[in-house]
Amino acid sequence: MSRGVWCLGVSAALLGAALVAAGCGGKPGYATSKYVDTHPLPQDTLTVDLPEIGTHGGRFVLAQTNPPRTFNSAMANESSSYDVTDGRLYATLVEFDNATETMRPQLAKRWEISPDGLVSTWHLRRGAAFTDGHPITSADVLFSFEIYMDDTLHVSMYDFFKPHGKKFKVSAPDSYTVVIESAGPYAMLVPVVGSVYIHPRHMLERAYRSGSFASAYNVGTPPESIVTSGPWKLKEYVANEKTVLTRNPYWCGVDARGQRLPYLDELVFMIVPDQNTAALKFEAGEVDALEDVKPENYQTYASGQEKGNFTLHELGPALNTNFLVFNLNRVRDGRSGKRIGSPHVGPVKYAWFNNRDFRKAISKAIDREAIIKSVYYGQGVKNWSTTTPGNKTWHTPDLVHYDYDLEGAKRLIAGLGWKDSNGDGVVEDTHGNPVRFNLKTNSSNRLRVESANFIKDDLAKLGIQVDATPLEFNSLITNLRTDFQFECVLLGLQSGTPPDPGMSQNVYRSSGITHYWNVRQPRPETAVEARLDALVEANVTALNPAERQRTWVEMQNLVNEESFLIWLPTLVYKVPIRNRFGNIHPSVIPHRIIWNIDKVFVKPKPARA
Amino acid sequence: MRTYVLRRLFQIVPLLLGISMLSFALLQLAPGDFLNTVAENPTVSAERLEAMRRSFGLDRPWYVQYGLYLKNLFLHFDFGESFARHQPVIVILREGLLNTLLLASAAAVVTWGLAIPLGVWAAVRQYSWVDKGLTVFGVIGLSIPEVLSGLLLLMLAANTGWLPVGGMRSIDHDQLDTAGKTVDLLRHLALPALVVGFTPLAGRMRQMRGNLLDVLRLDYVTTARAKGLSENVVVFKHALRNAINPLITLFGYTLGALVSGSLIVEIIFSWPGLGRITFDAIMTQDQYLVLGSVMMASFVLILGNLVADLLLAVADPRIAYG
Repeated sequence: MSRGVWCLGVSAALLGAALVAAGCGGKPGYATSKYVDTHPLPQDTLTVDLPEIGTHGGRFVLAQTNPPRTFNSAMANESSSYDVTDGRLYATLVEFDNATETMRPQLAKRWEISPDGLVSTWHLRRGAAFTDGHPITSADVLFSFEIYMDDTLHVSMYDFFKPHGKKFKVSAPDSYTVVIESAGPYAMLVPVVGSVYIHPRHMLERAYRSGSFASAYNVGTPPESIVTSGPWKLKEYVANEKTVLTRNPYWCGVDARGQRLPYLDELVFMIVPDQNTAALKFEAGEVDALEDVKPENYQTYASGQEKGNFTLHELGPALNTNFLVFNLNRVRDGRSGKRIGSPHVGPVKYAWFNNRDFRKAISKAIDREAIIKSVYYGQGVKNWSTTTPGNKTWHTPDLVHYDYDLEGAKRLIAGLGWKDSNGDGVVEDTHGNPVRFNLKTNSSNRLRVESANFIKDDLAKLGIQVDATPLEFNSLITNLRTDFQFECVLLGLQSGTPPDPGMSQNVYRSSGITHYWNVRQPRPETAVEARLDALVEANVTALNPAERQRTWVEMQNLVNEESFLIWLPTLVYKVPIRNRFGNIHPSVIPHRIIWNIDKVFVKPKPARA
Repeated sequence: MRTYVLRRLFQIVPLLLGISMLSFALLQLAPGDFLNTVAENPTVSAERLEAMRRSFGLDRPWYVQYGLYLKNLFLHFDFGESFARHQPVIVILREGLLNTLLLASAAAVVTWGLAIPLGVWAAVRQYSWVDKGLTVFGVIGLSIPEVLSGLLLLMLAANTGWLPVGGMRSIDHDQLDTAGKTVDLLRHLALPALVVGFTPLAGRMRQMRGNLLDVLRLDYVTTARAKGLSENVVVFKHALRNAINPLITLFGYTLGALVSGSLIVEIIFSWPGLGRITFDAIMTQDQYLVLGSVMMASFVLILGNLVADLLLAVADPRIAYG
């Protein structure tokens, strides 16, 4: 009877075998391209000094968790878009060099700043061109500044273009010169200019004037009509699958031998939403590098280096931070039903949280080494600031800080007059209230959830009872920013690019939205807050680097003495990258693996022994 | 029949309206909004956030937002624009839906292509080792979660290099000729279709087996055998056609469920389908994209049910819709 069934089974097996067989061969190799550079080099080349001189050809495949959401650099708001647009598709007048952590000329060949710091003159590179061959001139720079300073477009850097409350005045005396005038001295001038990615006026002006700039160059735009200023141009985008970039044939960057960059034929961002799948793709050789490897997996990668022909690069401490913060916010509008001016956490807890010795005691009770050892698998470092040890320029090694000292913490608690009078293991404050609070953190971050559990145990030794509550990210942010329904939160902040303290001014200013312990104060509520505001202002307006360092150190020490932010360890980043590539120089600063991808090349195939 | 179909099609409108209202209400009740995604970025100031909220219309009361949404939907058939991608919702969903349908159909081929023959086989060899073996095999397939079987298959693919590790097309897909493209697509489709198709396999197989056994016990089968017909004719021509009826109904229902049920597989296998787009939109509270995709999935589900009912009428002349 079952002849039919057998036939079906056999044909299915044959189809399976055929599919398997069809895939054999065609592994990514050391292919060199036949690329011939047909365009003459520009008059002002951007000649870069490289550790290794490469050759054209090859492809680099990077796994990305989320797809880019736009190819319009000014409108991008997430790292999955920035990775593709910023520094890849688009270039700036001056770029941040992750290796030296300095600003370096890119589309501008040089610039001068007047002694008073108010007027800067930028000289553009002659012969630099967009991906369609159209020259990049001062008109494009003016157009790009207009976009970034537009009141309705919401470019994320908008606030930084208004030092002293007034927008920059940008003008162009000729096609290759741009003059930027600032209303007052501004320390962030060069980094801010370096955040303006040059957009092509000849392609986008019509969309801008007609009010449709925000949706221009979206991911549905045909790649051939997307003209950009960077070393790469968009070759192909397949929704939720991959983004393929190829070289901008007109790019002005060249190596010491006069070969035009980028070396690689293609840079591919492959969308792999699941981290386990990404790891398997790396293992199978479909992907050349991984970002966001979990610390618990570092050891596996370290031991597989030789077999998999890759290196696990240690990038050092991350720029992202983790900290505890107590809620000192007061009610500012009547909608919540609470009296205006009363603390959100109620008078009893506000009295605890607002006490500096209490916050100090908490900081001293946390055994950070134990957290690093267990939660971070040893792959963490202690950190006491928004500029972590991963930030070479701005990290301050010897800040005021309150590290683990249980006896000291106990003395501080005793000094408050708090003791466990009923013997239940929990101390009571001077009014007899048991000291117990809630600690929220985002459930999707394993490091934070597990750290919160450690902190709960640490504080129990102090007689303080903590209820750790992991929450979904959106709920946590709503509690933190909108309804202030939190007592204590374990959270973190990303670093801006470049990682300059001025980029974190919203954390330190009393009016800032990331000044989490007491956000958006209409005017500084305490003398300490007023002092912080003055220091931020001094830091972003000082032109002398030493003066900036001095105010920065004072600012950090002030926050740490007050223990407004109770610092927790930061993760040490490691990323695996195949050994086939030359000039690989990954860094902890954003675009970690690909920040210099235009200089990366495929090494010649090693001779077989 | 035609009036029945028309009536069913008209019922879709209030149903979708209700679904959109419920989804919108749930989105409003969920804490936060799309702008929470920029929360850990220290360069965005409070004033900027307020301005962004205004420009997305998120500062307006929920009924105004919902009213505008309905107005655009009914007057212009406009599903709105995604906050994150600045692209019309319909464009984003169209591609995802096609990919999901492709995966769902391949999975359906796996499920039904295996369930029917195997079910028949088990029925004609009732209580033999074949029957028992298939039961064990089916139960194992049913009890392994998709996450696990998916990852195990991917591990196998990564270690042997036999099949690609997820994705829908290889990087060089465009350089291939039509035949090559088809093979490339099938190679990528094989594992996810196997995983999605395997879960309902056990159930369908058992149903096929049970139905056929019931029919094989009926008098007319005994009569056919008594007439001296060969066993093959008795089983395939006489018994199977009557035993397959309930499975036709199930087929329509699973069609709808397949579209909504492949989220986990889409994520594990990097399959660019509707499930992933929806999941991403929900996590970032990209509200019009969520609404659009929920409505799209509901529409397919409703349509699947309709198809199931119609197929039943076609297969069984005793059923008629007035």
